[in-house]
Amino acid sequence: MSEQNAGLKTAPMQLQVIQERQLSQHQCWSCGDMRAEHFCAACGHMQPAEPTDFFSFFGLPRKLEVDEAALEKEFYQLSRKLHPDLYSRASAREQHWSLEKTSQLNDAFRTLKDPITRTEYLLNLEGIQLEEQSKVATEQARAFGVEKKQTVPAELLEEAFELNMMLEEAKAGGVDDDLRAQLVATRDSLTARLGRMQDELRAAWKKWDNGNRAAIDEMVDVLNRRSYLSNLVRDLQEVLS
Amino acid sequence: MAYSDKVLDHYTNPRNVGTMDKNAGEVGTGLVGAPECGDVMKLQIRVNPETKIIEDAKFKTFGCGSAIASSSLATEWVKGKTVEEALAIKNTDIVKELSLPPVKIHCSVLAEDAIRAAISDWKKKQA
Ligand code: FES
Repeated sequence: MSEQNAGLKTAPMQLQVIQERQLSQHQCWSCGDMRAEHFCAACGHMQPAEPTDFFSFFGLPRKLEVDEAALEKEFYQLSRKLHPDLYSRASAREQHWSLEKTSQLNDAFRTLKDPITRTEYLLNLEGIQLEEQSKVATEQARAFGVEKKQTVPAELLEEAFELNMMLEEAKAGGVDDDLRAQLVATRDSLTARLGRMQDELRAAWKKWDNGNRAAIDEMVDVLNRRSYLSNLVRDLQEVLS
Repeated sequence: MAYSDKVLDHYTNPRNVGTMDKNAGEVGTGLVGAPECGDVMKLQIRVNPETKIIEDAKFKTFGCGSAIASSSLATEWVKGKTVEEALAIKNTDIVKELSLPPVKIHCSVLAEDAIRAAISDWKKKQA
């Protein structure tokens, strides 16, 4: 056991990697010292796996502007240090924690490294059920006997519908050079629009990171519009390839 | 994802696919989308001006199998109903009929939205 733990002595260094860590102080189960996060700062022992949100797992505040390169570096360091192979001869509970933490680590990294899934995840933590929004709006419209407002502008739905019709014809009738050129141009302009949405999203992130909760609605709005465009780009790509 | 037999049936053999003239006075058109997945659905009804009975319905859906099945079923269900009766169709009825799993609930919501949107478009034309 001592052999594996020797490797963990580097834990304090690991804490310096990300500056904005919110250090949660607990007592180390092994040496009784006050420790931070995944490893005891004093003796280096891995700490118990606890249910935690993905931001806290990485010691990050709930902010959306994330240094993705630093996150990735942190991910690789942690996956080395938490790797179950290191604990194959450790106590049963440490083996268990290492498995548990490794799986948390993978989920957390996968979710946070991507700007879109990161935003969705944060919204979810803040109580926004993206998956439920249509259903809830429909139930309200039904209950009050009013017309449900679509979450995106009608023109966007029209555009998505028309383009899908065109793609369906293209799939059935084949793509000649003219059509191909047209589809490529459409794909490129949609991709450019997706890029601009990314900018909109970043602007909303900034507001959120500065404590402006109104940014939540803006983020939901961008994500909603975005899902139509990204579907179209995906389908265009499929026809073009 | 394992689809239920009823979903598969509607999916492989969708009823009432097509379009109607959206400018016709007796036709109502609903074009709706699911922001959860970016899928779109159009559903149209033709209403008898005297009886207010929906005599025909057509749909065109670009989406998952459950959305196609939900809209196909929706067109079957609204046909022969009055406009008011059709408004009583709930997404949960569709979920039940097609045994949709929880992750596919929004697909059935899309179909209810489409019915309601088509009816409200039709109502606007009557005003
Ligand atoms: S997954 Fe989009 S409607 Fe079913």
